[in-house]
Amino acid sequence: MLGSILSTGLAVGSVYALIAITYNVMFSASRVFSFTAGTLGMLGGVLGSLFIARMAMPVADGFLLALVCGAVVGIITEIVAVRPVLKSLDQHLYVLSTLALALMIQQFTAIEWSTEPQPFPRLLDIARGGFDQQIWLPMLACAVVIVGLELLYRHTLIGHAILAIAEDNFAARALGLPERSLRLASFALAGVIGALAGFAGGEMLLAFFANAPLLTFYGFVPVALGGMGNNRGAVVAGLLLGLFQQAANFLVGGIFASVAVFTVFIIVLLARPEGLAGATFQRRV
Amino acid sequence: MLGSMTASSATLPFLALLIVGISLPMFGGGYWGVIATRACVYWVLVSGLNLVVGFGGQIAIGWVALLTLGAYTTSVLVAGNVTPALPPYLALAIAGVVGAVFGLIIGLPALRLRTFYFAITTLGFATIVTQVALAWQSVTGGGIGVAGPIFPDPFASQWGFYYFCFGLAAICTWMTANIAASRFGRALTAIRDAEVAAEACGISKSALLGTVFVFSGAVAAVAGGLFAGMQSYITPDAFTLDLSILFFIAILIGGRGSILGPLLGTILLTVLPEFAAPLVAWSTFLYAVLLLVIVLAIPGGIAEILDFKNRRPLESDRAITPRPELLGLLFGSAPSAGALTLDEVALSFGGVRAIDGLDLEIRPGQVHGLIGPNGSGKTTTLNVISGYYAPQRGAVRLNGAALPALARHRRARMRIARTFQTPRIVSSASVLQNVMIGGTIDGRGTFVESLLSLPRHRRDEATLRDTAMLALAAVGLERLTRVRADRLQHSELRFTEIARALMIRPAFLLLDEPAAGLSAEEIERLGALILAIARAGTGVLVVEHHPDLIFDICHRVTVLNLGKILAAGTPAEIRAHREVVNAYLGA
Amino acid sequence: MAMTRRQVLASAGAAALASGLAKPAIAAKQPILIGYLPALTGPSSSTGVGINRGIQLAVQEINAAGGVDGRQLELITRDTQSDPTKAVNGAAELTRGQKVSVVFGPVNSGESLAVVPLLARTNTPQVHPCWVDSLTDPKKYPMCFRNAPTNQQIGGAANHYVVDVLKRKKVAVVSDTTGYGTASVNAYVPMLKARGADVVYQGNVDAANPDLKPELLRMQSAGAEAIMPWSVNAGFLSRIINVRGQMGWDVPVIGQTTLGSGQTQALLEKPEYWAKVYPNNFRPVCYAAGGKLSDRTSTFLDRLRSAKIEMGDTLLWWIALGYDSPRMIAEAMKNVGTEPEQIVGYLNTLKEFPGVYGDIAFTADKHDGYPDNEVVMVEANSLKDGAFNLAPGYSA
Repeated sequence: MLGSILSTGLAVGSVYALIAITYNVMFSASRVFSFTAGTLGMLGGVLGSLFIARMAMPVADGFLLALVCGAVVGIITEIVAVRPVLKSLDQHLYVLSTLALALMIQQFTAIEWSTEPQPFPRLLDIARGGFDQQIWLPMLACAVVIVGLELLYRHTLIGHAILAIAEDNFAARALGLPERSLRLASFALAGVIGALAGFAGGEMLLAFFANAPLLTFYGFVPVALGGMGNNRGAVVAGLLLGLFQQAANFLVGGIFASVAVFTVFIIVLLARPEGLAGATFQRRV
Repeated sequence: MLGSMTASSATLPFLALLIVGISLPMFGGGYWGVIATRACVYWVLVSGLNLVVGFGGQIAIGWVALLTLGAYTTSVLVAGNVTPALPPYLALAIAGVVGAVFGLIIGLPALRLRTFYFAITTLGFATIVTQVALAWQSVTGGGIGVAGPIFPDPFASQWGFYYFCFGLAAICTWMTANIAASRFGRALTAIRDAEVAAEACGISKSALLGTVFVFSGAVAAVAGGLFAGMQSYITPDAFTLDLSILFFIAILIGGRGSILGPLLGTILLTVLPEFAAPLVAWSTFLYAVLLLVIVLAIPGGIAEILDFKNRRPLESDRAITPRPELLGLLFGSAPSAGALTLDEVALSFGGVRAIDGLDLEIRPGQVHGLIGPNGSGKTTTLNVISGYYAPQRGAVRLNGAALPALARHRRARMRIARTFQTPRIVSSASVLQNVMIGGTIDGRGTFVESLLSLPRHRRDEATLRDTAMLALAAVGLERLTRVRADRLQHSELRFTEIARALMIRPAFLLLDEPAAGLSAEEIERLGALILAIARAGTGVLVVEHHPDLIFDICHRVTVLNLGKILAAGTPAEIRAHREVVNAYLGA
Repeated sequence: MAMTRRQVLASAGAAALASGLAKPAIAAKQPILIGYLPALTGPSSSTGVGINRGIQLAVQEINAAGGVDGRQLELITRDTQSDPTKAVNGAAELTRGQKVSVVFGPVNSGESLAVVPLLARTNTPQVHPCWVDSLTDPKKYPMCFRNAPTNQQIGGAANHYVVDVLKRKKVAVVSDTTGYGTASVNAYVPMLKARGADVVYQGNVDAANPDLKPELLRMQSAGAEAIMPWSVNAGFLSRIINVRGQMGWDVPVIGQTTLGSGQTQALLEKPEYWAKVYPNNFRPVCYAAGGKLSDRTSTFLDRLRSAKIEMGDTLLWWIALGYDSPRMIAEAMKNVGTEPEQIVGYLNTLKEFPGVYGDIAFTADKHDGYPDNEVVMVEANSLKDGAFNLAPGYSA
């Protein structure tokens, strides 16, 4: 049983970590948390099942198309729900606009796709084994994204530009950086990462519209605990969350497990509102 | 929510709804009775949540948790499978108490967490409550569920129960409308839109939010008991996240800071899916679309659409004409205080020395100017006096006694008032309401007295209104009292802030760049007003960039540069001071 | 499969709209309104979807043959979406708004737990096929009748098979978190213990949980020799079967009829996984020894085929139950009229209604109409043309 806890915990933790990274990428580009991060994860699974299982596309094509759709949803989020409210004085409208958009996508999926979890296709034609693909695919995806982002931010010009916008918006604009395009690109990137999370985790989580609120919550916990915008903290916290959740699942069963996770999360957050690794936020007077 | 003069027009829509509601059985069939009952039950919850979300600005999305708690508490107590069976009214009351406690528990994180984080924790609570209901089979019946309470005659029949719910809904409307038109309601909107200014006015965020969470929780739990009675049987899956979303969106669609808006919003969202069977499946989708449209296009919601008053055009050539002679009336015989002094105050942010060994004295009846280049520490000085930052060395003293550092909301009680570099006002409230916020701490009545519109609350309101009208007349804005604040020009907002600060008859008034954005004529009138305020006994500290204004009205001037005092003395001395001329004034 | 459901939903929705908007012509005779509360969508919709196919066919046939005393039958459908709250709203609308003569449904126990008391208060006769024992009570709910077995009857057959025939003593009983699932587990665990079995695992699991491995591992480490799942959620049941297969754990699965439905079969990872799965079913719609169906059932199957009704993704007994129910109601109305007391009086003395699904009989003291001896256990992977063989070693 310990083996199962470890493997499943790390796998599902990787999915949570990827959603946390999605939140962080969107946050870095706009100082805004978007409710659509979890929805993107859900779409990765649903679209993967739609393209590959129902529409019988080859796995690679379905995969790429799902990622493209994720990017599109990320762009829509930016244009419809984030850009219009950034201009407004009321800082919290973004919570509502992204919530509305996320709900629309979730409900549409529930009605048009199914209200029930649908099977997700087997991606690689390998026999089922102990260290099965549904375990290592999410972990692989997580590793690829972390390395990829690191390369992007540290070694490419566009990555530097994105970091600059996140660090000091005014200075970056004063330098002539195209803030709007960079933000759009960041949201598209976040969309891809979210869809990848759902797709890689699809064999475990199935294609289910209710994965959206699930991932919205469980994907946010690593962000909160690891510190806003802090991807490394998010990954560590995500993996720990996955392990904790699976341990609870195996030891006490599903219902109590989710109560345990929620309770621990809320307690930790109240004790350290800025996260276990984050810095206290400054007020502006 | 509006002054007594327009009370009749404000109550008209409520009266209309009251009449429609009471006479519903005569023209509506049994099925519309069910829908109307449901709308009433939802409104009982939404009316309380409105104070939290609409007025307080807290994004509490998971409030269905309290509906669940109330429903199960009432049902289990009436069913008698855990305790001896209790009469339904008692069970409902107990549910209210349970709801009050849990409302506070669920709401408390709002005081520690940022907006989005708090929203997520409320979602977490909603899930926890449902899971506990599922798991605790011995009490709640788990997946099997439990029968809802049946209220005794005359409320046992369908229409009887409808009247019961309608009565409670009407009472909740009345109570929350009372709060909206009280200093608590205004203080909530201040916390929502201008938290920093609210603190400066003495409003304690934790006390106020705690109170509304308790009230909102109690009312939501009562709604839960009614919900269980209406459903006649409850299972955990009746309490979906969709319901939480419905409550939340009803408030946003209705418009924040309004009672009528969310009431209409609740009715709309309850009734909408009933018009066609296919619509029921799409109902949450439609709610989300409505929410998005409102947020992007009409953030003020239905309330903004119905705000006809504020569509009437304002006069275009408005002038602000202060009447300083009214200040005597306003201040009455306020006791005078000693001096406000800063002794050797030093504060650094990381490696930057924002203020380095600052000595300052503000005497009652005097205007003290604080000038200097950008980044010299002027606003930081104001913020230290106001209590936003604690000095790392030295102290701020009032009459010799050191002021508690970081106790921002206690400054008002010490009669220290301030204005801000960018006006911090509640844009959706009227000018009068904004100014009345300044006098919040002078109210005597408690929250409960406001809830029930008891005499002391009404006296408070009358006094506050009169004082605010006087303050507005003194600063020259008496023709704009009813206007919604976001329609005002920038200069009018600055004077509004001053009127708000005057509400507590301040012993010390701190003005942060009050002349920024004012025309030359307005600056002159501002100067005269400030002098008059000083003559009335207040010690005024003015941080400014307009040297002419400073030299005209100040008795003493301190010049800062890089956190240190460059020069201090009378305006004449400063004007001639060589270093000041070099560093700042120019030849 | 989703297309079929959507078509059904669309037609049900259209029927609902049409019935809501149309006003009966003054000249023609008024139709008889029958309220119908199926779960056509949602997690517990397999039953409703299957029943719906039968009920629509039956109503068409009755109306084509002239209706009841020249009056057409009109089904007023309110999809409960597997949600007890929506079931309550639907029931309220059917009785108060539409003023139906009789209500058929809900088809899921969780929804009926809420609706039965409500319909009793509005004095509407109700016929439902839900299994939870407390859903009939001739004293509390004198107008409520059940034309399907009770949990006692079902559990009796299943538990007898596990303990006495398969000789498994250590049993894991699992269900989803619906009212039906929870009530079933609560009913069956004491029944098993009374038979001398040792219940080593007992649990309710959220049907939407995609990962059932932890639960099965806990069953395995508790030493379970048989798994008994009680749920109508095909996804949930298929996941249990799949995990059992992935683990290579050789224990029989005995339980709810949905274990054998085409919907469950479609969700299995490998067809081999369907071995050693023994759901409940009902003798009239199963192959007797020798592989033959009863005449009544063969005729019914022919009728289904000629009406091109899909059978492969559901269970025959649901369709049959759906087919029988309006015919029983119509027969009552033909004999005594449409007044509530008359219908109830007729049903209280119904000696035998020869349905395809079973022979239903009621008395004034017994509103559970399904005969004990027609509940049987079958072998899931013997599914052919909608019907099953009896489980190995089963005889009763």
